[in-house]
Amino acid sequence: MSITNNIDNDIKFLAKSEIRLKILGELDKKPDNVQGIAKKTSIAYSSVSSNIGKLETHNYITKVENKYYINPMTQVYFKTLMDFKNSVELVNDYDAFWDKHDINQLSIESIKRITDLKNSQLIETTPIDIYKTHNTIKNQIMDSKNVRAIFPYIHPEYPKLIESILENDGTVELIVPKGIFNELMFRINSNVRREAIRNKKLNVYSFKDDLNLYLTICDDNMSLGLFKNDGSFDQNRVLVSNDRQSYIWAEELFNHVKKQVKE
Amino acid sequence: MSTTETKKELAEEFSGIKYILTSGMRSKLLLAIYDGPKNLDELRNELKKPSATILHGLKELETINLIRKVQKYYELTSNGFLLTTNMVKLIENWYTINKNKLFWNSHDLDGIPDDVLKDIYLLKNAEYVASTTSDLSNAFNAYIKLISKAKKLKIIFPIYSENHFKHLIKLVNGKKLKKLELVVNEEILKSIEENELLKKELLNNKKVKIKCVKRKLKVFLTYSEDFMSLTLFFKDGHYDDSQILIAKDKNAIKWAKALEKLYEK
Repeated sequence: MSITNNIDNDIKFLAKSEIRLKILGELDKKPDNVQGIAKKTSIAYSSVSSNIGKLETHNYITKVENKYYINPMTQVYFKTLMDFKNSVELVNDYDAFWDKHDINQLSIESIKRITDLKNSQLIETTPIDIYKTHNTIKNQIMDSKNVRAIFPYIHPEYPKLIESILENDGTVELIVPKGIFNELMFRINSNVRREAIRNKKLNVYSFKDDLNLYLTICDDNMSLGLFKNDGSFDQNRVLVSNDRQSYIWAEELFNHVKKQVKE
Repeated sequence: MSTTETKKELAEEFSGIKYILTSGMRSKLLLAIYDGPKNLDELRNELKKPSATILHGLKELETINLIRKVQKYYELTSNGFLLTTNMVKLIENWYTINKNKLFWNSHDLDGIPDDVLKDIYLLKNAEYVASTTSDLSNAFNAYIKLISKAKKLKIIFPIYSENHFKHLIKLVNGKKLKKLELVVNEEILKSIEENELLKKELLNNKKVKIKCVKRKLKVFLTYSEDFMSLTLFFKDGHYDDSQILIAKDKNAIKWAKALEKLYEK
């Protein structure tokens, strides 16, 4: 991957000056004059004025009558730059979650839309509540009618949780590693299991390669867990969210992994 | 608030991107290592810079935990990979609009919600067709040619254009097109209902599904299984039929679907 000089210069010109970014942010919302921007941003009139001049000379904004308008392309520049800023912040805000963890099974698309997780919450275990992560997810599953999940391991409570969803006429769709597929199926009550499979209420896919990802999609929540670089699952951290964006993000990741399941 | 305070606050607000984006060396190193782990020799050859400069940049990136050294190779950490992937997206976004500068810069983009605007890189392979003084309907003809081969069409239709309707009627009466879905607003729907021919040929045709939305429509978006096309309005509110953006790859169709979904909501 390389970067053309053109784009490099444009990016640098805009990213270099916080004042210019702030001005663009204001103009993106509403056309305005120097005085108005100075007032809204608390930046000195002279700085606003000189930077407005530079932005106009470089064709990022246009003056019409008394007001400055952001050019359409500049709008895209600005918004995508802010999107990048949000992604950097998301990585930094959940540093403990990402750092030294294996992210190889996230799709490039899901990483490109990582800002969809911006309203997530990082749940971490504490010495007085070492089952906090597990219990959070367990409660989400118990409150759900339909559950999709990628389980890289079986927690002893999972078979019962799955059974109870199926008994309440819900649906369960799972992706599990080949190594635990039989074990998991065996532990689900055979009558419940057979009937659910027959009625297409239970679908379990066996994943042939390593599965270094934990994901649940419940009715109103999603949760994401990662493995550490040393290959062990990090039971102490899970990212959970109940907003729409994260939910769709999780769905796309689930489908991405599902596609790799070789029938 | 004093000027110094404002400045300090601003510096903090944008510190995350400024550090990465304003240093040519740091961003180029990240992009070079994004392709795969590299040693000093390889980086020196690729970036054509002296070892000292490169080592200095590597050290900085190592300090902020974006890269790490394993044996003699430098590779991205998980944070580094997340960040660089998004930097690549940023560059592709900018590349995409630069490529069709004339198209993007002359139109009103307010009809494209931020959520899809920030994924505009998906239109990387799109090309735009413009009408010329010697061929005023070049863009329109390109559009008609495109839709004539489709089996399924979905269109966000922001204008009342008999010229367009005429061609669509021909298509729904033909054999190839099996399904036509139109997203219109109340005003357009009313105009269609008031026209006897359109009412008969479009509204009462089984192949046609019309969805009426309450919001203002500012994009003319069409997609099928094999292509997508986009035309827009000028800033002054007039529809521009002289420039059309066309793409035939999966990513672009994915983008079109995402945009259409937001309009249907």
